[in-house]
Order: sequence, then C-alpha cells, then structure tokens
Amino acid sequence: MIKRQRRLWTIGFISIPLVVYTIIVVAPLFYSFFYSLTDWNGLSSDFNFVGFKNFAKVFSDPLFANAIKNTVIWTVVAITAPTLAGLTLALILREGIRGANIYKSLFYLPIALSLAVIGQIWIWIYQPRWGLLNVALEAIGLESATRAWLADPQTALISVIAAWSWQQVGLSMVIFLAGLTSISPELTEAAQIDGANYWQSLRYVIIPLLRPASIVVVALAVINSLKSFDIVFTMTKGGPFHSSDTLAMFMYNESFKKYYMGYGSAIAVVLFLIALVVIALYFRQVKAVEQLYD
Amino acid sequence: MKTHRLVTFVAMVILLSLALSACTAPVAPAPADGGQQASEPAEELSVTAMHYFSGTLGRGALADIFKSFQEANPGITVFDNPIGHEDFKTTILVMLAGGDPPDIFSYWAGARVQFIVDSDRLAPIDDLWDENNLDEVVPASLAAGATVYNDQRYLIPFGYHYVGMFYNPKVMADAGVTEFPTTWDELITLADTLQAAGVKPFALGSMNRWPAQFWFDYLLLRTAGPEYRSKLMAGEASYTDPEVQRVMEMWKELVDKGYFVDDANAYDWTDAADQVANGEAAMTLMGTWITGYWNTNELTPGEDYDFFIFPTIEEGVPMAALGPVDGWVLAKDAKHPNAARKLLAYLITDTQSQGDWAIAQGALSPNVNVDPSIYNDVMQNALAAVDSADTFTFNYDLATTPPMAEGGLDMFAQFMNDPSGYMDYLEQTQAVAEDVFAQ
Repeated sequence: MIKRQRRLWTIGFISIPLVVYTIIVVAPLFYSFFYSLTDWNGLSSDFNFVGFKNFAKVFSDPLFANAIKNTVIWTVVAITAPTLAGLTLALILREGIRGANIYKSLFYLPIALSLAVIGQIWIWIYQPRWGLLNVALEAIGLESATRAWLADPQTALISVIAAWSWQQVGLSMVIFLAGLTSISPELTEAAQIDGANYWQSLRYVIIPLLRPASIVVVALAVINSLKSFDIVFTMTKGGPFHSSDTLAMFMYNESFKKYYMGYGSAIAVVLFLIALVVIALYFRQVKAVEQLYD
Repeated sequence: MKTHRLVTFVAMVILLSLALSACTAPVAPAPADGGQQASEPAEELSVTAMHYFSGTLGRGALADIFKSFQEANPGITVFDNPIGHEDFKTTILVMLAGGDPPDIFSYWAGARVQFIVDSDRLAPIDDLWDENNLDEVVPASLAAGATVYNDQRYLIPFGYHYVGMFYNPKVMADAGVTEFPTTWDELITLADTLQAAGVKPFALGSMNRWPAQFWFDYLLLRTAGPEYRSKLMAGEASYTDPEVQRVMEMWKELVDKGYFVDDANAYDWTDAADQVANGEAAMTLMGTWITGYWNTNELTPGEDYDFFIFPTIEEGVPMAALGPVDGWVLAKDAKHPNAARKLLAYLITDTQSQGDWAIAQGALSPNVNVDPSIYNDVMQNALAAVDSADTFTFNYDLATTPPMAEGGLDMFAQFMNDPSGYMDYLEQTQAVAEDVFAQ
C-alpha cells in the first residue's frame, strides 16, 4: 500500500517536468521533422509538401559539404588540442606547485565567460592592425606571418576554433583534475616501487585510470563542436564567404537569412541524426567503462 | 514489468503534451478583431511598436517622438520595443509566423517588405494613405518604389538615406585637389593624384559584406543603367551577362591599382569611416548615416567631411540615386490596429518629429513639408542630389530577394578578397540566381 502510494507520488513528480520537456523540446523536434518535408519560408501560413526534396538538396549542396568539412575539422581539433592541453595542465597542477589554486582559477576563468564575450575578446586579438597577435608577431620579427586572421578564408576557421579551444582547455583541465583526485595515490606509489619512472606510471597507470574522465571530455568536445554556433556567429558569421561555416551556422543562414525554413529544418534533422549517433556511441562507451569497474 | 509500465506512462505523457502543444500551435491565427468587426471599434489604449533603431541608431530620438505622440493623443500608450539590428531580423520573423506580432514595426522598404507582403503578414494601409493625403506629403518618386507592393500601400516611409562618395576635404586639399570628378576618367585621375600624394583613395570596410554592394550598384547603374539593373534584380538578366562582367572588370581595375585600403574584409564600415576621418584614406562610398556617425565623433560637416555624387560613366544613362528607405508597417495580426493607424499617420505627418528624426539619424525626411534648412550643408546637398536624380533605387540587398542577396553579398566579399577570380564568382552567383528565381 505504502509502496503503491510512493509510486503515485513518483509518477506525479516525474510527469510535470516531462510535460514541460515534451512541449519545449520534443514537440519542436517533431515540428522540425514536419517542416523539413515542406517548402515553408518561415513566415507564410501556407506552404507545400515537397517530400524528401529538401534532403536531396542537402546532399547535393556544396555549401552543406563545406559545412560538414568544417565541422569535421572543428571536431578533430576539439578532440585533440584542448584535451591534450587540459590533461597537461591537470598533470602539472597535480604536482602541488606553488599557487596551484590561483592557476586553476585562471585557467578555469574562460569557462565563466559566454562564448559571445570570448568571440569579442578574440576579435580584438586578431584585429589586423593593433591586435595582440599581429603586434606580437611583429615584435618577434615575424612580420611576414601577420595577416587579417578572420578576413582571410585560409585562416578564418582555424582562428575561430583556436578561440573556442582557449575556453575548452579550462573545462577539460577541471574534468581531468577531478579524475586525477579519484586515482588512489597507492596505485602510483606501487608503480614507483615496482621501478616505473614518471612516464611509465603515466602511460600504464594514470592514463588508463583516467578513461572515464577522458570519455566525458571527448564526448563534450564532440557535442560542443557539433553545436558550435555562438562563437562563429559573433566572430565571422560563417564568413568570409562560408569559409568558417559550421553545420549550425549554415542551418541558421539558410533558415533566417535566405528564409528557406523547410530546407533549414532538413539540415537540422540531419544534424540531429549525427548528434544521435555520437550520443549513442558515448553511452556505449560509458556503459563499457561502468562494466569494467563493476 | 515495472519498467514496461513506466515506459508506457512516459510515452502517454509525451503524446498528450504533443497533442496539447499542437492545439496551441499558431498554424492559422484567427483575425485579431474576432467577431467584433460589426460593432463600434473598441477604444484602444495602447499600441506596440518594435524597431531596429536601438542604441546609437536613434533609440532616444524615437522615444521622444513616441512621447510627443502620447501627448497629442492622450489615453494611448506606446510600448516601445527596440531590438538590435541583426537580432531584429530573426525576432520579427518568429513573431510574425507565430501570429503574435507587434502592432507596427520598422522595416526596410523594397524586397524585404515584398517578402512579408507575399507571405500575407501585413495589413494594407491605402485608406490611411488617402485619409491623410499622403500623396501631398511623400514625394512621388519615393512613394512609388517604397510604399506600394502588389498594387497596394503597405509602408509608411520614416527616413531615407543617400549613398555618395564621402571624403575628407583636408586630405583632398593637401593633395592639391580642387575639383571633384563628374566622369569616370576624372575619378581615375583623382585616385592617381591621391595615390601619388601617399594617400589611399578608397576606404572600404566589408567585414559585414553589405558596404561593398554600393560599388557594384553604382558601377552597374552608371554603365548598364537602372532598367537593366532592375532586370538583374528580378532574375530576368544573368550575372554572366557582358554588362555585369564589365562592372566587375572596372571594379577589379580599381583594386588592382591599389586604390583600396588593404584587407577590406577585415574592417567594418565604421573602421572605413575612421580611416577617412584620420586621413589615411581619402574617401569611402557610403550612405548618409555615416554623417550621423561622424557628427557623434564631433566632426564638422563641410569642414571635416563632404561628399560628391558618384560620377557619370556612360553618357545618356539616366542618373540614379541609391539608398535605403526605412519605414513602418502594420501587422495583419495587429491587436490594436486603430491606435496603430493613428501612430503610423503621426510618424509621417508630424513635421517636428520628422525633422527631429532626420537630424538624429543623419537621414533625410520623406516628408516634403519638413523645412530643408534644418539640415546641415552636407545633408542639404544630399537632398539636392536626390532631387536632381532621374530615379531613386534601393541598394542591392534591398533590391533583390533575400536569398539572392545572400549569394550576391558573398560574391562581393569574395571579390574584395581576390578580384582575379571574378568570372568564377559570377558563374557561382548565376547558379544561385537560377536556383532562387526558379522557385
């Protein structure tokens, strides 16, 4: 009887957020599916069903291929650069150097800033005339390397990714630090007693034990790069001429600049499916790790 | 078993809330007046106005105008809702599609208003136009192009701008320039003189693409002429036509000769304005809003800046003036259409407000009863330039349909990055045009 009442309460409490979630998350998702089959312009109350025409267009659109390419580049950099930098920082800070807490706060600070603010800061850094980067390059005699970073289609994308990674480093550092504290010192001591040097204990003890943390870091990096929009919007709007378009930016331009809402919805659906695959892979990994530790 | 029931329950809740949200989804909004049409129009005590004149673009001046409207119409409150320029474009779209728009909102006359009219989200205002005798208030040349869509009136013009070659008189004087070009050859000579004096002739900040469009616009208007340009804007001519190729070749010649400040795509239009103001460059092709920017930076009109009309290139081609018209439109789903109409009429007919607005924004008033002596010398000359022109045309991104404008603006930025590939860019742009105008 008590158990039954308890269940009723549980159901009651779950249903409230579930209803809200459905209305604001699940329903729009279905609308996107629906609109992706239409030629809706985002404004008119009438539109036509065009079947899978939008999806056919997605896969033949060179701008989509370009956005995919840029998102892949973004993801590859996101998985490697900030992850390795964050790991390095975490390992250094763990050694108990003086003022470690100050460094931790400093490296973590960018996380507290919104990506729009970070974008603005880096716009200044990249400013071609008095921006920090070009001024610094000139100061060390590398004048030939100076350029208009965000205006040059060769460098725009990588410059935006660098700015984004700057924030991401702090995040992966914190997660790795948390992971490191959960590693019992006895294990590394045991390794030392067995005669392992620092690199060996890192390679065979610490890194394998950091696997749960690594999965979180990599998964976050992938998911964040799939939805990368705000910093691109602030810094380049996908330009110059689409050289820094990501999938999300491309979707926005098609929907809200060109008013191809049906087509934009089709891009959203494709993006959703990609994210779904990534998340499925993530859960599989997490499950594998859990089984390992059980 | 237990989990199975839970799953069923979750699925049911989701279905139920989906159904709920579908009910409230604004697919076909009911007319705002509902069944009350027949009875006396209810007295409306408020009107909501949304606009992109935020921050330095005139927010304060507009707030004052709304205040004076409230004083003239006691009992009606204006809810002022300014939104940043870029955010405005998406916000208004979502509000209109959702059937819950502001009563009136600011918009750019031309293809953008056409798009909302075609999507059936605006209410025509022919009656308001006639009641207030606006044919006597708004110059015919402006009214024809900016206010009429599908043979009906939809827009109240609020202010307009003129695009001219704005220059720094001191730089010109230092380089020994006393006369300003009226032909293409004279413009080239001027550029050579300036370059010899160590000054970049042209500043351009095309980071946000649109500032580059004025070069394309004027070169095309002065060579192929306004009629051909209208055809191109409507998809009836091709971007690979010899007329357009010629424009790109002329433009390329200017870039190749080093007349433009380097890295145009790295700067915004305000950076270009600064480069002219500080003497690094001599001139920039820009709209009259640049005077508003310079005035806020305490530059003196006529002394620190002035302009000349983009020169004739091909004799016998009608002289076109170029620029955008800002206006107000009435939403079809407006909840307070009567109060909104009063406000719309006030915004164009009240000469005091019209004058204040023009001064605050560095714009020209579309109301002929505004005394031109309120303008500074430069703006008076801009007004004269518009008056002397054979026709007034909208700049590229307002003259052609939005998806086409995106393709064209990309081309301009691409061109400023590397003009040598212009033929490829034209072919790409034509491919966009074929896609856009086929729909």
